[in-house]
Amino acid sequence: MRKSTIPFLLINFFLVVVLSSCASNVVKGYTKVPLEKKIVAVPYFSNSDTDYVYKANISVYGNELTGIFIAKKINEATHRVVFTTEFGNKLLDFEISENDFKVNSIAEELDRKILINTLKNDFRLLLRKQYLIEEQFENTTDEVYQSREGNMYNFLFVSKTNEKQYKIVHSSRTKEKISISFDSENNIFAERVVIQHKNIKLKIELNYLQSKSN
Amino acid sequence: MQIKTYLVVFLTAVISLASFAQEQKMSVSEINSFKQSVAVVSKKIKTLSTDFVQYKHMDFLSKDIETSGKMIFKEPSLLLWQYKRPYSYSVIFKSGKILINDEGKKKSVDIGNSKMFGKINKLIVGSVSGDMFDDKEFTISYFKTKGNNITRFIPKDAKLKKYIRQIELTFDKEEATVEQVKLIESSEDYTRIVLKNKTINAKIDDSVFTN
Repeated sequence: MRKSTIPFLLINFFLVVVLSSCASNVVKGYTKVPLEKKIVAVPYFSNSDTDYVYKANISVYGNELTGIFIAKKINEATHRVVFTTEFGNKLLDFEISENDFKVNSIAEELDRKILINTLKNDFRLLLRKQYLIEEQFENTTDEVYQSREGNMYNFLFVSKTNEKQYKIVHSSRTKEKISISFDSENNIFAERVVIQHKNIKLKIELNYLQSKSN
Repeated sequence: MQIKTYLVVFLTAVISLASFAQEQKMSVSEINSFKQSVAVVSKKIKTLSTDFVQYKHMDFLSKDIETSGKMIFKEPSLLLWQYKRPYSYSVIFKSGKILINDEGKKKSVDIGNSKMFGKINKLIVGSVSGDMFDDKEFTISYFKTKGNNITRFIPKDAKLKKYIRQIELTFDKEEATVEQVKLIESSEDYTRIVLKNKTINAKIDDSVFTN
């Protein structure tokens, strides 16, 4: 009994050491620095007066799907997210917050649990207004803020030159799962957003349709 | 200032009430003569081209999403639906195929004898030409206002009904042609398409319908 326990403990210890040293795979080459702030806000979908309307190109395992992506903050915690065809018919309609999720409607062809869950996670990451920060890193060009979410991590990349948040990476201890990149002129509204999955062949590109003043 | 606001609200309410009141059900004889005049016009249509502005209305948005472009139809079943603003995206219905051009990215989808797409094609052409008084497919009701005739179509097909609860066509009374198409999805959401600069029977080359 005792004989088998010791190697087991050793392996466990070894795993913990190895895994924690891999925690920052995404920030490999970056230097850990003292934490400057505990909360980092993401502005790109946070204004409840703005209709966020984008032309969407989704490529999934070689198939292309296009349409219009619409997001709107409908109360302090919740966003409404709708995807329509170019002709205007609705393919999906979600209400999404950090803790709740509701499908208002979904086209029969898209009504698959795995797809709904993937989009739910993507949109949640995209629409989240702020992150609690536990570690901070930097290199010559970027500040990187690490936030923890259960056993997953989110890394927020901010350019030092123009202070723009240009990327969020959702990652496990060792592997990058999703990266969301933002192109923004004014650091408030993103003209272009790309959601790129690393473990499945899924990429969602959003290019804005309407003026941000709408 | 406040009185002014009240006045505006009051006037708006009165005007909208008035426009409701203006809409009347057609009588049986009116329906027959209206259907006949639409049939006469749509029978004459060999080609049709029109500009359109599409307003996607969703109740939770502060503003409708506006897109615009051109639609061209040629007998018997060639159809181009082309968005030009704010993006370029076109769809061509052509002998069992849908040709899509998305900002230069081209794609062709074989629809073969898909009944659903057949219906959609018929629906688009019917909506624009006005010739869709098919009692088998729709429950139809007829209304009139001062300048327009309005028809409302409720699909009978359960599958189609899932996407479109009701189609509303607004006709110019004089010309008996369609001015506006409204596709109603739910009580809160609809797509309104306004047709402008209609040209009937101009010469249109088949090459227009190539991707």
